[in-house]
Amino acid sequence: MSSPKPTPIISVSRVTKDFGSTRALRAVDLTVEQGEVVVLLGRSGSGKSTLLRHLDGLERPSAGVVEVLGEDVATLRPAALRALRGRVGMIFQRFELVPSLTVLENVLTGALSRLRGPRLGLWAYPRSLKLLAITHLERVGLLEKTYQRADQLSGGEQQRVAIARALMQDPRILLADEPVASLDPESSDQVMRLIREIAADDGLTVVCSLHQVDLALGWGDRIVGLRHGEVVLDTTTDGLGRAEVMEIYGRVAASTAELTAIETELGAIDVGDGVSVGTAARGGRR
Amino acid sequence: MTAARTTSRPPEADTAASLRRPRIPTSRIAGCSAVLFMLAFGVYSLTTLDFSWSNVAASTQNAVKVFSLMDPVSLPAPPDLAYLIGLTLGIVILGTVVAALISIPVSYVSAANTTPAGWLRVLGRAIGVITRAVPDVVLALAFSLAFALGSSLPGILAIGIHSIGMISKLFADAIEQIDHGPQLAVRAAGGSKAQEFWSAVFPQVLPSWIATVLHRFDINLRGSAILGYAGVGGLGYAMKVAFAQFPEGYGRGLGIAAVIFVLCVVLEIISSMIRSNLLGVDAVGNGLGGRILRAAGKRPPVRGQPPGGHVAALGVEAALRRPWTRARVRNLSWAWTAVAIVVAGYWMADVDFGQISWNYVVPTLQSFWPPNFGSHSLDEFAQALLVTVEVAFASAVLSLVLSLLVGSLAARNVAPNNAVRTTFRTILVIFRGVPELVLAIFLIMVTGLGNQAGVVALAFGGVGLLGKLVADSFEELPPGPERALSAAGATRSQRYLAATWPRGLPSLIGNSLYLVDTNIRAATVLGIVGGSGVGFYLTNASTVLTLHGQVTTLVIMVFGTVLVVEGIAAWMRRVFR
Repeated sequence: MSSPKPTPIISVSRVTKDFGSTRALRAVDLTVEQGEVVVLLGRSGSGKSTLLRHLDGLERPSAGVVEVLGEDVATLRPAALRALRGRVGMIFQRFELVPSLTVLENVLTGALSRLRGPRLGLWAYPRSLKLLAITHLERVGLLEKTYQRADQLSGGEQQRVAIARALMQDPRILLADEPVASLDPESSDQVMRLIREIAADDGLTVVCSLHQVDLALGWGDRIVGLRHGEVVLDTTTDGLGRAEVMEIYGRVAASTAELTAIETELGAIDVGDGVSVGTAARGGRR
Repeated sequence: MTAARTTSRPPEADTAASLRRPRIPTSRIAGCSAVLFMLAFGVYSLTTLDFSWSNVAASTQNAVKVFSLMDPVSLPAPPDLAYLIGLTLGIVILGTVVAALISIPVSYVSAANTTPAGWLRVLGRAIGVITRAVPDVVLALAFSLAFALGSSLPGILAIGIHSIGMISKLFADAIEQIDHGPQLAVRAAGGSKAQEFWSAVFPQVLPSWIATVLHRFDINLRGSAILGYAGVGGLGYAMKVAFAQFPEGYGRGLGIAAVIFVLCVVLEIISSMIRSNLLGVDAVGNGLGGRILRAAGKRPPVRGQPPGGHVAALGVEAALRRPWTRARVRNLSWAWTAVAIVVAGYWMADVDFGQISWNYVVPTLQSFWPPNFGSHSLDEFAQALLVTVEVAFASAVLSLVLSLLVGSLAARNVAPNNAVRTTFRTILVIFRGVPELVLAIFLIMVTGLGNQAGVVALAFGGVGLLGKLVADSFEELPPGPERALSAAGATRSQRYLAATWPRGLPSLIGNSLYLVDTNIRAATVLGIVGGSGVGFYLTNASTVLTLHGQVTTLVIMVFGTVLVVEGIAAWMRRVFR
């Protein structure tokens, strides 16, 4: 721990992943240090989700090595893999809550890796865990929704429940797969800020995939750009502008006038104004 | 079809001389021949089974005689009646619950997205297919050897095992259709396979599981009468005993039959009500109960804004206490009601595990293997199977003719007015409401043992089923062609023959084959009561331990036949698409 150079918490080296004849990742290298907030940027199909899934051991690389918290994900036995997944929290674009269960029950499922055997219903969880779950719900600002059905909540609220569920794991790493892609600007602002706050307070390492350049710029410490399964950009966000990102991305940015027009239309929002790489690229191709 | 081909030709070829009729594809010729062959076989079956109008007429006279001789319709004394109803319900409830519980692990391994291993999936599906293939009556007869006389356990086990097939299949299908996201989320959080199932999968499929179980309960209750014929206590058995005495028992028998009928309808109403209100699942039953319920409850489903569990902002400790919202009270009371019903069922069914002769259990199970012909030959069994198949086809042909008439007139777009439609819809509902067995037993008592009773009973039930399917399929047709024809001045019957019929034909063929399929199974079971076809040999072989190998042989033969019919149906659906 006291070594001069901190050991990386995530280390991906030369990882290639094939799904049948499709190559989703091509020799990807990525090192993430403890406490970093990293954005994976790229259009859909660029391999962001696949890479994230490797970091939680949900996929095994076709070639290369994925090390998370010092363990080689591919060689872990099932029990050890589950233990590792327990220390890595994950949130999803579509929240993935069980719609018919209460918010509290959904949050409690985050504690499953610490429990033996299956659980069904609130009474199946010890009081201490319920108390902890409610604390996390208070933290994400949803205390008063504790006993509502998950499907009665708005999208933004559901994503916050999902964050509380991830916190229930007491994770070292938080993975977020397009966490705000299904949300309106206001909720996505709230969710992104929440993730940032929690990361700072708990010293969490965060890897979050996004497809909106502007959102990424205002939010992450570091941006890793993916295209066609390859890392095409890896830089800190300090002093980085949209134009530069676009340039490094190898695409012609839309004209300033066009971007301004889009921004006006969407309203002046600090982050998450919805100008995606995709939009810009479409503009550039014309 | 012809029109489409001619218009696609280049204009210069579009002369009368070049307009040859396009070649009909071979598959269609084969399909048409098969349909004609099956129709012919059905008609032939009617004649070979000694079914004739003179016989029916003779039976009618017989019926008149029976009615004049028998006692007035009566019911058992109220305490006896309550006991019989309780016993019947208890057996059906427990059997269904046993099947429902066993179905959970079976569907867990059968569903593609939850199964731990490929071979387990094959095993699970095989359990489903096999349990569905063995009729519950056969099981009840076979199990009765391992239990004391009059025990309700054979009935419970028979229903329990036979119902696994349907429940686990529907449940596994429901599991395969869920949103996989929550399951992935639990896996990503480090959950095991079992935790994935209970935390993410089961809560999603719980409503469909309950609906399936309730649906199966309705089916089992209808079938319980026939179990009584196999010696399982309850209303069915009391009816059998009553009908065994002529003429003084017949009034009592009819009374009990009426009780069974009413019980079926009442419980179907209740189960439809639970399914629609509690679960937000629409009343799906095609039976009388579902219809009454739909008619009665034409109000919008109460989904509304559920009162949120408002936890007063009192902090974390206080939030541990779950508020008593309406939803919570409702769910909890339903759960406790369910528990109470199962406990009551246990009590009413008079379960006594002391009645199991344990040293008979293993030999009973072993006796079913290997399949053999005993003192009979393949030829005899094949003959018996042929009779059963003939009963199935003969009744299907009768049903088809009647269904076309009744079903057409029950369709909105065919019936001349709404009154006619309502009348014929009601007729269909009544036909479906009468349990086939009650009808069959009644007919048997009128006409005596024989295939004719089976044919008529199945034909009646078939009209209820097929007639409804015909009416529904006609109503689902887009109204365009009929409108075009009436615009061109066609009469009602011209519209029917030129526009409605051709478009309804494919689904009619499919539905008729489905009817044949269910008829083969039903004819087997009715044969057990009426002593004809496969049922005759099944009855004889089921009650003797050393003959159980024959039961296996017969069940395999019936199941093979059903598979063949299902295969033909699948092929026909492709041909007549």
